[in-house]
Amino acid sequence: MRVHSHSSQSRNAQSSEPLVQKEHSKLLEVDNLTKVFTKGQGFAKSTITAVNEVSFSLELDRPEIFTLAGESGSGKSTVAKLILGFEEPSSGAVRFRGEDIARTRGKAKFMKDVQPVFQNPFETFNPLKRIDTYLYETERNFRMSKAGEYPLVERSLELVGLSLTEIKDKYPSEMSGGQLQRVSIARALIPNPSLLIMDEPVSMIDASLRMSVINLFKELKRQQGVSIIYITHDLATAYYVSDRIAIMLRGQIVETGSVEEVLDSPLHPYTQLLRASVPVPDPANKWQKDIPLSDIEIREYSRKGCKFAGRCSKAEDICNECEPPDYRVNGRYVKCHLYKTA
Amino acid sequence: MPILDIRGLKAYYITRKYGHASRVRAVDGVSFQVKKDEIYGIAGESGCGKSTLLKAVSGLIKPPLQVLEGEVVYDFEDQKLSILSLREDRQRRRIRGVRISLIPQGSMSVLNPVRRIRESFRDIIDAHLGTVDEARFNDIVRTHLDALGLDWSVMHAFPHQLSGGMRQRITIALATILKPDIVFADEPTTALDVVVQRGVIQLIKKIKREQMNTVIMVTHDLAVHANLCDRLAIMYAGKMVEEADVDALFSNPRHPYTIVLLKSLPRLGDRSVRTSAPGAPPSLVNVPSGCRFHPRCPEAMERCRSEDPELVEVEKGHRVACLLEEGSR
Repeated sequence: MRVHSHSSQSRNAQSSEPLVQKEHSKLLEVDNLTKVFTKGQGFAKSTITAVNEVSFSLELDRPEIFTLAGESGSGKSTVAKLILGFEEPSSGAVRFRGEDIARTRGKAKFMKDVQPVFQNPFETFNPLKRIDTYLYETERNFRMSKAGEYPLVERSLELVGLSLTEIKDKYPSEMSGGQLQRVSIARALIPNPSLLIMDEPVSMIDASLRMSVINLFKELKRQQGVSIIYITHDLATAYYVSDRIAIMLRGQIVETGSVEEVLDSPLHPYTQLLRASVPVPDPANKWQKDIPLSDIEIREYSRKGCKFAGRCSKAEDICNECEPPDYRVNGRYVKCHLYKTA
Repeated sequence: MPILDIRGLKAYYITRKYGHASRVRAVDGVSFQVKKDEIYGIAGESGCGKSTLLKAVSGLIKPPLQVLEGEVVYDFEDQKLSILSLREDRQRRRIRGVRISLIPQGSMSVLNPVRRIRESFRDIIDAHLGTVDEARFNDIVRTHLDALGLDWSVMHAFPHQLSGGMRQRITIALATILKPDIVFADEPTTALDVVVQRGVIQLIKKIKREQMNTVIMVTHDLAVHANLCDRLAIMYAGKMVEEADVDALFSNPRHPYTIVLLKSLPRLGDRSVRTSAPGAPPSLVNVPSGCRFHPRCPEAMERCRSEDPELVEVEKGHRVACLLEEGSR
């Protein structure tokens, strides 16, 4: 699976920059990333390919919000862990600013530049530890300013719409999920990162507060020039906030493109099903007909050919036989045999 | 004719610590009626008391939860029951599963992980129909599974062998096998993927069509309510703030909280700016005086701090609890 941003290719072709510069035109390059988990031993040993040849890239000088969307078990969180260096890839590579993170992970420079925000803010923080200590610790550990001084704590809290007086000496249980998630983002902003990896950052946040956190992502991108990889199953917020989207199914990216194109006129049958399953908050637009249900989801990982063929209404013989390559359709990449001629 | 009539229900969690009583006012004076054969939705954020309301209404009251006031009356065609006056042990147990039934949230924690699905079905049937013989048992379950479009082979599976969506569908099948008059569903689609969620909603609709029961659906997801419900109630901090037909509620919301909530919903195909209400929902231990939404309300007046508005009918079938509505009564 190879997804190149076409604009970058054209720019590279035109520019007369030296070769070294060219390598650095990408902030993040995920190149044929594969992660195989094994479970059991001996005869009971079995493997599951959680991430299967995933590739995408983010531009260095153009901050964007890139969404990885998919159902649970599609491998999207594993991709996040691989990018953060929490897991080692089975094959393929993640390059950050042109350097393979196999070499840079665990080093302060990389950790400063790539920061995570996790799903459940109540689990992110130790309930017995005061919330402001996390911020001070981060600033101290990354040696962001002179010893004993913490100017960045206040600044990053301001960026997320909080103030130090609001969180001083408070424990996680004394704050709402929305506030905590803001603190979690503020902590991630202290080392002044250029990439934030957010794994389901709003799924635990109340509906009346959710949009304030989502709007914050847009602000961060615009004002701080931070790129964000937004991992979610919620297509409505993805549509609202992101620039590009990649739809994942059983470890593979099946469709990539701009979020409007992909979700307004999905090409891959799986994206179409996903799109049709998002409930619309409008009683005048109730679902009219029933969709077919499958009980075979669990076995799709080990499928030969297209992972979706077992549920696809347009499946042909070829879909069961061989895995479709990525076809390029109007600037989008679609992993489906239907678009062979296109 | 209402099949369920709830009046002035107050259900608090009361705990004592070092002689100090702490009261979580989870359901604080809620009254509503559910008509026969409708799907009644209850929406609200986490911690607004919607699950506690379901517990109290279905008579699942265990300390520290206590019902302080109020009445819950079921009016089945052949029988009128006040569930809170029934004794917990035998009497309430006899109507659960048969007359009223609950579809719980986490399907993994509902099904016993070390027993096959079949044995879970056996439990519920034996408990209510007495020990039935194998042929009759198979007959009852097979008819039910066929009607729901579930495969017989799941009966021999252990819960961990099934996908999350399948487990939730089996939980629903278990809850409805005795054709209850009222089905309570507590966040049955939360934590499921959208495709599976749509399947579960389809299934609930199908059961309702075939068994002709009344469904009370609790979820925080307004988009699910829009697709499923006939009438919808919005709860905030232990109180009901608005109740209307689902069409009226979405097209003409009248409580400021409902308006804010609907405005903040992102929609596919629309990238216009959405905002959320300032502040956060209050803790139910320490609720604001007057109207509970007033600290966050864009329309709050001085009176809202001290006066607690009643839920009153402002249009036919549309009830709102807001002082702004006084003129339209």
